[in-house]
Parts: sequence; structure tokens; C-alpha cells
Amino acid sequence: MLSVEMCWGQAGIFTFGQAALFGLGGYTVGLITKNSSITDIGVLLLIAIVIGAVAGLIIGIFLFSGKRVGELYVVLVTLAISYIFERLANSWTVLGSGNGIPGIPSPTIFGMEIKSIIGLFILAFTVFALILFICIFLVNSQFGLTMNAVRDDEERAEFFGYKRSRIQIVVFVFAAVLASIGGALFAVTESFVSSSMTGLALSTTIVLWVVLGGRGTFFGPLIALAVLQAVNTKMQEVLPSLWPILVGLLLVIAMIFLPKGLMSLPATIRESLRKKSTA
Amino acid sequence: MKLLEVISVTKKFGALTAVDKASIFINQNEIVGLIGPNGSGKSTLLHTVCGRTIATEGQILLQGLDITKQDPQDRAIAGMAIKFQLARIYLEKTVRENLLISLQAKESIWSQLRNRSLAKFEDKITSLADEFQLTEYLDEFAKSLSHGQQQWLEIAMAMASEPILLLLDEPTAGMSPKERADTAILIKKASKKCGVLIVEHDLDFIKEICDRISVLHQGNIIATGTSAEIEKDPKVKEVYLTRV
Ligand SMILES: Nc1ncnc2c1ncn2[C@@H]1O[C@H](COP(=O)(O)OP(=O)(O)OP(=O)(O)O)[C@@H](O)[C@H]1O
Ligand SMILES: [Mg+2]
Repeated sequence: MLSVEMCWGQAGIFTFGQAALFGLGGYTVGLITKNSSITDIGVLLLIAIVIGAVAGLIIGIFLFSGKRVGELYVVLVTLAISYIFERLANSWTVLGSGNGIPGIPSPTIFGMEIKSIIGLFILAFTVFALILFICIFLVNSQFGLTMNAVRDDEERAEFFGYKRSRIQIVVFVFAAVLASIGGALFAVTESFVSSSMTGLALSTTIVLWVVLGGRGTFFGPLIALAVLQAVNTKMQEVLPSLWPILVGLLLVIAMIFLPKGLMSLPATIRESLRKKSTA
Repeated sequence: MKLLEVISVTKKFGALTAVDKASIFINQNEIVGLIGPNGSGKSTLLHTVCGRTIATEGQILLQGLDITKQDPQDRAIAGMAIKFQLARIYLEKTVRENLLISLQAKESIWSQLRNRSLAKFEDKITSLADEFQLTEYLDEFAKSLSHGQQQWLEIAMAMASEPILLLLDEPTAGMSPKERADTAILIKKASKKCGVLIVEHDLDFIKEICDRISVLHQGNIIATGTSAEIEKDPKVKEVYLTRV
């Protein structure tokens, strides 16, 4: 989620590819723990970071190094990557085909095993808080303004001398690393990875969080995430087949009517009231 | 050596020839005006200079270096700055942020991450805002500025980078007479540090501040000279008479 917010909310790169990178991080950890005795969370995360960065760099260079490309193009390419990754995870035996990779051992830190749910939660929360902290720092730095300048008017930014493609690649790599870390954490906390953690459904859901929560803020999407996850679990029980369609509809509606997210609703209402009263 | 040389530049959009073998030049500290009827190719010519479009034929030299096909960001780094016909500022950002966006554009990502140049730019923001009468609006959103102030903000952003060549597309459009007069002073002052190319419809404004004027008609430069020479030129008279 943070990954998409960084990419799209802050730098205007609308990506559906984060699930593939999430999956990549997860499967990387899955494969390593299956085929070696490495379980140290530090080492695992480091590897996930490197793999995520490399993948992000390759995709980023492909997407952004030439001329300016349209948003639609980025959406389509990242959608395609998510789709391919999902298919790959489903069919390639090395990745466990449809069964995924079960039985990923508990992570260790300094040789100590983190087994309890509370331990795992603390681990995930610590990493998350650290990343959130870094993200907030980035957004408030001068580079944050640069990202916004490129988001709001790519072409204009170039005329000031911004190296647009380099900036977009850097942001994309950073976002890829975040997604990959997320996937790695998922793998060790859930102790399995499968194709359902990657692919389109997840990508769409993440984008939805950011849309509903409001691109441009971190806390909006977090709230949207919490609410939607709660609703999600309930709805999947009640309306298993209709729910995905509803999610899609919700996404379209939100993007059309609330381009700035639910958090902006009070401000939007105030604005329109003011217009009415002055008109 | 001339600051900018545009040598026989042609720009075609499909079958339409917007600029046809146009040549102009600008010396250091010179203000050159480009006038002509609507659709005569003024903006297009400016765009071939700043890199928004690439000339179909001809050559553009900046300080003797061929930049005809260079990317906009490389031209900006070489010292070019532009104010577009329709002000393109960041409406959702404050005046201060807008100025900073221009100031930090050429800083490396690494130094931006460390907020290295923030303190250094603070003084520049203060003096630019002062010069362009924007001090009291520094923390207002750019979208809340008046039309004339938005134009000024974009000129201020262009000047912030201390360019060697300043390109201004209709800088006074929509300004009050008082704002126009102030703009003339600002541009004259700017020309002490760089060369300026101005596209304008306001002939009085152009006559007042330009050292030299070129007249564009249907993509062709039909005359170049001082304002007195231009006024006497029969071809220019014809274009401007037949137009009205
Ligand atoms: N991107 C484009 N694609 C196709 N035709 C274009 C493009 N840009 C400009 N033109 C055409 O080129 C011609 C010159 O346009 P240009 O904008 O340079 O004129 P101008 O002298 O700046 O006019 P104005 O005074 O109205 O600003 C016009 O006929 C215009 O329609
Ligand atoms: Mg024009």
C-alpha cells in the first residue's frame, strides 16, 4: 500500500504492478528458506530488497527511460506484469504451481526463533513503522517536492531541468523495494506463499485503498485499508461472487467522484457550500 | 559569438508549415521581440528553441553549440528558461514551493534527499518574491493568485534559475496597464544578466523594451530591425493593414 501511495500518490506513477513485486518478495523468501537453511529475517529482508530493487530497476528503465509515456501505458504494462507473474506462480513447478510454497519456517533474529503471533506482529509492525517513517521523511524532503512537480506536470518539470526519467525510475525502484519487503514479511508471518498473494486481485485492492484513502496522504489509505479489510472478510462470506464486482465498481466510482479520496470529502463539501453561499 | 542563433528553422505539422525557414539571433543582454498575427508561428518558433517541439529543418545554436535536437531538460541545464503562453505553474502548490521547484530542479537527487540546498534557496526566494511583489503571497496557493500575479510567478520561476536565455511567450497577456509597466521594468532588469526573446501582441510594450524586433507572418520572418525600421517597412505595414 505504501508502495502504491509513493508511486502514484506522490509521483503520479499509476501502477498495477505492485502485487507482482509483492509476490516476488514472498516467493524469493519461500524459495530461499526451502532450499537453504537461511531463516535470519535480516538476511531474508536484505535479499528481498536487492531482488525488489533489481526488478524495479528493470521495469522502471523499461517504462521511463525513453520519452514521456502516458499514464495508460504504465497501467497496461504493470497490469500485464502482474498477470504474467500470477500465471507463472500458478503453473511453474519451481514455484509450487497452484499449491504455492507451504511450510516456510519461522524467521529468526540473532539465532532466536520468532514463533508467537505477538512476536511476528511486532516484527511486521516494526518494519512497517520504519518504512512509514522513511516515506514521511522522503515526502517532506526536497525530493518530495520534486516528485510532486513531476506528478503534477511532467513536461513542465523537464523545462526546469528536472531529469524526469531518472526521478521516475528512482521512485519506482523504491516502491518496488517496499512491495518486495511487504511480500517477504507476508511469507514469514503467514508461513506460506501462493499465487493468490500476487496478481490482479491484490493489485486492484491496493489501488482501491489508495483511491479511497486519498492519494497524496499516507494515513487516508491506512484507514481505508482497515475499514475495507473488515468489510472484505464479511462480504466474502455473504456475497462471495458479487463482491469482487462491487470492489471494481467502488473503484470506478471513487476515481470519478472522489479523485482526492474520502479524506477530502469534508473539504470538498465545505468548498461547494462556500461556492453556493458566495454565488 | 551570438547567444542564440536560429538558422533557417522550419517546423511542419503534417501538411501545415507553421514556421518556414525562419532565422533570428540574440546577443548577450539583448531583448528581442517577436511579433506577428495570430497563428503566424510565434509560439511554435519559441518551442523549437526550448525543445517542446523539434525543428523539422534548420539549426539552433546556443552559445555556438548545436542544440537543435536536444531534450528540454538538457537545454534547461544549459541555461534556458521559458514562460509559456498559458502560464504553467503548479496551481496546487504555494508560491514558495513553486519557486523552490524551479530553484532545485538541477540539484542531484542525493542532495535533495538531504535537504542540502534548502537554506541556500531561502534567501533567493525572499528576494525573488520581493522583486515580483509576491512576498505577502508566499504561503498562498498559486491558484489563489490573480491572473497577472500568476504570470509574474512564472516569470519569477524562469528567472530563478539565473538563465542565460529567457524565453517569454506573451508575458503581459491579461495584465493591467500598471502591471505591464512593472513587467517592462522587470524584464529590462533581467536583461542585464541574460538575453531575452519575447513574443507579444502588445506593440507599444514591445516597442518600448526591445532592442530589435522580428516580424513573423505565416511562418516567415518578413522583417527584422529596430522599432523605427519595422514601422516603416512596407511589408509589415501590409500585413498589419490587411489584418485589420
Ligand atoms: N502541436 C501542433 N499541431 C498541429 N498544428 C499546430 C501545433 N501547434 C501549432 N500548430 C499550428 O501552427 C500554426 C502556428 O501556431 P502558433 O501557436 O505558433 O501561432 P502563434 O503565432 O503563437 O499564435 P498566437 O498569437 O495565437 O499565440 C497555427 O496554424 C497552429 O494551428
Ligand atoms: Mg502563441
